[in-house]
Amino acid sequence: MIRRAPLILGSKTYETITKDIVSLVESFPGPSYYMGIAGAQFLLLIFLFAQGMIVWFGMGMMGVNHPVGWGTDIITFVFWIGIGHAGTLISAVLFLFRQKWRTSIARTAEAMTVFAVMTAGLFPILHTGRPWLAYWLLPYPNQRGPLWVNFRSPLVWDVFAVSTYATVSMVFWYIGMVPDLATIRDRAKNKWRKRIYGALSLGWRGTARNWNHYEMVYMLLAGLSTPLVLSVHSIVSFDFAVATLPGWHTTIFPPYFVAGAIFSGFAMVVTLMAIVRELVPVFKDYITIDHMENMNKIIMATGLMVGYAYGSEFFIAWYSGVEYETFIFMNRAFGPYGWSYWIMVTCNVIIPQIFWFKAARRNIPIMFVVSIFVNIGMWFERFVITITSLHRDFLPSSWGMWIPTLYDFGALFGSFGLFFTLFLLYIRLLPAISIAEVKPVLGVGREGDGHGHH
Amino acid sequence: METQNTQTPKYWMSLEQWRQDPEFQKLAEKEFQSSPLQSDDGKDGWARREFLKLMGASLALTSFGCVRRTAQKIIPYVNKPADVIHGLSNYYASSFADGFEGLGLLVTTRDGRPIKIEGNPDHPANRGGMSTRGHAMILKLYDPDRYTGPKRNLQNDTRSNREIVGVKWEDLDKAVIEQLKKGSIAILGNSCLSPSTQALTDDFSAAYGAKSYRYDDVSYEPLQEATQKSYGQAGLPRYDFEKAKYVVAINNDFMGTWLNPTLYSRQFALRRRKTADMNKLVVFESLMSLTGSNADERYRIRPSQTLDLVMAILNELLINKKVSRFAGDAAVLRAVSAFAKADVGVNVADVAAELWKNRGQSLVVAGGVHSGIENAAHIHVAVNLLNAVLENDGKTVEPVGAAVVKPASANISDLIASMNKKEVKTLIIHGCNPMYSLPAAAKFREAFNNVEMIIYTGDRNDETARYADYVASDHHSLENWGDMLSLDGTYSIQQPTIQPLYNTRAMQDSLLVWAKASSKASARVKGAEDWYAYLRNNWKDLGRGKASTDDGWTELLRSGVLSGVTAGGGSRTFLTAALNEIKPASRKSGFELAMYETVALGGGDLANVPWLQELPDPITKITWDNYATISPKDAASLKLKEGYHVTLTVGDQKITIPAHIQPGQADGVVGLAVGYGRVGAGKVADGVGQNAFALAQWSNGSRVTSGIETAVAVSGGRTELACTQGHHSMEGRQIVVEETLKDFIKNPGGTVHRHKMFSMWSGHKYKGNKWGMVIDLNTCNGCSACVIACQSENNIPTVGKKYVIEGREMQWLRIDRYYVGDPENPDVVHQPLPCMHCDNAPCETVCPVIATSHSDEGTNDMTYNRCVGTRYCSNNCPYKVRRFNWFQYSEGIPTPHKMAMNPDVTVRFRGVMEKCTFCIHRIRNSKSEAKVQNRTLRPNEVQTACQQSCVTGAITFGDLNNTEWAVTKEFTSPSSYALLEELNTQPAVRYQVKVRNTEELKGAPKHHGEGHHA
Repeated sequence: MIRRAPLILGSKTYETITKDIVSLVESFPGPSYYMGIAGAQFLLLIFLFAQGMIVWFGMGMMGVNHPVGWGTDIITFVFWIGIGHAGTLISAVLFLFRQKWRTSIARTAEAMTVFAVMTAGLFPILHTGRPWLAYWLLPYPNQRGPLWVNFRSPLVWDVFAVSTYATVSMVFWYIGMVPDLATIRDRAKNKWRKRIYGALSLGWRGTARNWNHYEMVYMLLAGLSTPLVLSVHSIVSFDFAVATLPGWHTTIFPPYFVAGAIFSGFAMVVTLMAIVRELVPVFKDYITIDHMENMNKIIMATGLMVGYAYGSEFFIAWYSGVEYETFIFMNRAFGPYGWSYWIMVTCNVIIPQIFWFKAARRNIPIMFVVSIFVNIGMWFERFVITITSLHRDFLPSSWGMWIPTLYDFGALFGSFGLFFTLFLLYIRLLPAISIAEVKPVLGVGREGDGHGHH
Repeated sequence: METQNTQTPKYWMSLEQWRQDPEFQKLAEKEFQSSPLQSDDGKDGWARREFLKLMGASLALTSFGCVRRTAQKIIPYVNKPADVIHGLSNYYASSFADGFEGLGLLVTTRDGRPIKIEGNPDHPANRGGMSTRGHAMILKLYDPDRYTGPKRNLQNDTRSNREIVGVKWEDLDKAVIEQLKKGSIAILGNSCLSPSTQALTDDFSAAYGAKSYRYDDVSYEPLQEATQKSYGQAGLPRYDFEKAKYVVAINNDFMGTWLNPTLYSRQFALRRRKTADMNKLVVFESLMSLTGSNADERYRIRPSQTLDLVMAILNELLINKKVSRFAGDAAVLRAVSAFAKADVGVNVADVAAELWKNRGQSLVVAGGVHSGIENAAHIHVAVNLLNAVLENDGKTVEPVGAAVVKPASANISDLIASMNKKEVKTLIIHGCNPMYSLPAAAKFREAFNNVEMIIYTGDRNDETARYADYVASDHHSLENWGDMLSLDGTYSIQQPTIQPLYNTRAMQDSLLVWAKASSKASARVKGAEDWYAYLRNNWKDLGRGKASTDDGWTELLRSGVLSGVTAGGGSRTFLTAALNEIKPASRKSGFELAMYETVALGGGDLANVPWLQELPDPITKITWDNYATISPKDAASLKLKEGYHVTLTVGDQKITIPAHIQPGQADGVVGLAVGYGRVGAGKVADGVGQNAFALAQWSNGSRVTSGIETAVAVSGGRTELACTQGHHSMEGRQIVVEETLKDFIKNPGGTVHRHKMFSMWSGHKYKGNKWGMVIDLNTCNGCSACVIACQSENNIPTVGKKYVIEGREMQWLRIDRYYVGDPENPDVVHQPLPCMHCDNAPCETVCPVIATSHSDEGTNDMTYNRCVGTRYCSNNCPYKVRRFNWFQYSEGIPTPHKMAMNPDVTVRFRGVMEKCTFCIHRIRNSKSEAKVQNRTLRPNEVQTACQQSCVTGAITFGDLNNTEWAVTKEFTSPSSYALLEELNTQPAVRYQVKVRNTEELKGAPKHHGEGHHA
């Protein structure tokens, strides 16, 4: 019989698992953490300043113009929404498929999802001319007629898709955390910690009845989240696919966007996990190199899908015989923004090919670099779609260029400040690995050495 | 209270009340059992806790929005003026003299302030249309940089102004009259189209023995001189382009800037429209002008070849073909044959043959700033001869305008000479800005040192005002009375439409006041109380009896035009002696500089109007700058790219300016627009571009603006030019469809590639009106008046150069210009693009909040209040006609400008999308009017602002559900087509194909493949 590789390294007992994971919450962080959060806060300040100026003076502060009506805000929105996808895929889809290796990365991947969606959600609001009226996009009974939203508009679908996604992933994440929060509560010696985590653990007692309900809810939520993996980015892609613009008006967009989202999401998980492994060395036993390799395999697979989509778009542009479509794709690759297209192809299609080699898949520095490239490439994919289609459409008279301003850079880089601030706070305030889920898989790969399944 | 309480109540509700229980009394006293304003202990005032609570709440409320705008009260009239109804416009007929162009106006006023200039349909010069500049001049009235009263300059030694102080009119008059009494007075004025002003100037001159001198910033002196020489008759000719079947324009921009462009454009279009008998336009030119862009055939010549070219045609006709009655005239043949060897680089045989074939119904015109070469009058003499040869004289060229502009007894060079001889003690300058438009070589400025006092009647601290001792600040023409005799012989009245905004005084009133102080003042002057009285008195003669009675005068004011004036026609004898002086000029080597006027700025007097600065040039589409235009070939050999700086050197004068590579420009020519580089014109114009006049030459007492030998050097540096159109080729797409005349007559619209469209739904149903528009690309010449008309009508803001570069210009209506064929000499097409009001509008479906929606009359409406500004609609618009308010533009409008706002149209706030509304407010107004009169709309009753301003009648608008409206026929005609038809947007705006009177088109659209597809 071939023995399975252990999912958790080191000689762990249930006690050490709890200690390893909860110690982060129970101790004060070291200087490297403070440096990290200071950096994140600095970026967050830039974000607040940039967006504050934009809201105060108008969208004209950014590079968006006529004909390029959407710029950094929408690109970055799609980018962050895409990032979120890996979390749901890992926690829900892999859960339903009973992939046990998911347990040690699921919590953090979900947290990433929640923070990415939170970050993403700001952009569609802030990119409007009058963000203080963004609530008009919600269909609710009102005294204005009542005036309803336009159910034909993909932007309204977006509101539903993203808000549903945000709600479900947040609930899923939180419900999954309840037993662990109770563990922290039970271990707490500090009064306030006991109170706060006590409130958060919703009176969890660890009874069989608790566990029964918990497992059922978790399973249901996993089932609910699974279609969202496909639907959210499909609907985000409709923002483009439903429009008339050549380069946007394509049926390939929903699967292409979903594959791209999973691709970028896994890349972000790899980036974060590589950082977490360095920040918290003890986690190397839980987030093993096998985990990383699995994710790299997915990155390569989805990268190939994305590459296929790029090729297919070109083929259809030529095969359809639509002159505008043909032009837009030639313009994408060889026009004034051609550089962005080749950044995208290099980062998304060529660089991940290194994962054909096992050594590269299992090498932390290599995968870290590749994942960063994939993130850059996926941001540029949305850049290519948004900008190159808009800047040269049907009538050559209205062709133009889009040049970002400092506020565009502020909004883009600042959004990482928001994301990392939330993420770093999460690492120290909540159990970053699911204690309750890791413990049951402790035995995997260890059947012979006395740590048998109980 | 007390007495009531002691009595038993008549009606009681409870036993406690009946008993008058003290507990009950206490409770009954306060209606509400608890109040935040009352303390528990019952003492007056607020308890500390309540106070703190309230303070907290109010602080929270004030800091969380709910900031109300300050209340603005509407106060009704105590005594309502007759005819003024709030919310309704009043229209007044008036006149506007734009240089030599006289336009009849219909001024829209609201509550006593003019808000828009429209054309007077009764005025033959523009027939309801209006020029770009005519629309824009209203903003000069509301210009914040105008002087608000008379000024005195405390001059320093060099007479550049040291300090400007306000002065009272009485003090100014006292000082001026005292000075005038010393005698030796010179009046420098423009070629005024106002007969009464001319009369008054004459009266003033007579009273003081003053001498009049003539100066125009954009001068037609060579043409006047040539007319005098050729026919022994002073004045300017009248052209009739409608009668001309074959038009040859030689370095002449008659559609854009020359003499009477509005009238000529209209006449040309009228003939253009008659496809069976369509005219043909052949243009020989150095720069790409608006006229050249509309040419059927276009050839490139250098400015110095202008005369050679006219002579080459004459050579072909008189010597080679030996036709016409001049063929035997020895004097003519001698003059013409002197040019036999002149190389014009163009074979003129075909053109000459066509001209001869169409003799009597052809027309040759030349002249303008860009053919203002040395001895420019020679060109006009030669052209006069050519028109005489072609028997056009008396047919397409008429001497009618002769009487209009009285010939000048002396011009500015005479003035400079007598100033230098210290013969001038007092100089009065009005109607021109010589310190801006004269080259330094004229030494006008130096001559000032010999003059004791200079009085200027300008309206701001401009180039000339800084050298004047007194500025008797003039009214804007909308504040002033006046009259006008247009070049076509039509008399019209200029009536004020607003009380003067400031303490200014009409130039004529100033002259009148000063003239009255003279003992030699004429009875006419003495009898006139003010300028208005003088004008009315003068009109007793001019008005042919009509103005003698009050009723007649009122009727004259109402119509604005003295109709039925026909001045005589008939041909004149060409005096061959005029040819004596004409000899071939020596060849020029190197670059020749040709200055030109832009359609927007002209001579620069309206430079401080932001609409004009931001109007994309009809050809280059560049705003907010002038630039050196250079041909593509020259640019390649100079290794010059768009926007890189070149230094133009003429003698010791240098200008460093960005270059624009202009397709179709003649090689070896540099073009430079005048009207820019103003100093002291105001916040808008100052610092925009450079003054081209600085490079002008001064030769034999006249200004040379073209054919100047220039050194062109590429200097470092680059300026981004604010071009509104990023790309200039149609990329083979079906955007503007052109057809040759032959094809058009055979099968109108046959070259349009039609698409068979399928739709999954039956579409909107329009039961009442269905609004639609047709734009005739054949008659549209790209003059851009509609763009400014729309801007004025719809309160469209200007954004400035920086934001035009960023692609944020706001004009709702744009005119796309494409080049077709070889960049060396391409064809040009113009295509106005308003909102298409598509039936299947892509913008409507994507708006998440239904801020843009389809009306049951087919218009695509914007609800600004509802718009949150996602800009999705703009992205999804295939025509890119939507404009977004990137900032709060209305904040930047200076105070007096606000008075020009149209109250019928919302001033948009930041963060919302806007676009062409099909002038929905005009539709509503007409409908309300019809409803009040209990009738339906009359056919063609509603006009959009763009349609109304179009002199060529290229825009037709109306109800597509009613065949009586003109638009219906146009919309369904076989030569009309929908832009981007294959997207099935079903636009409510269609285009008529452009017909070119040529054998072959330079670029046949290839569109997508051959044949029709489903």
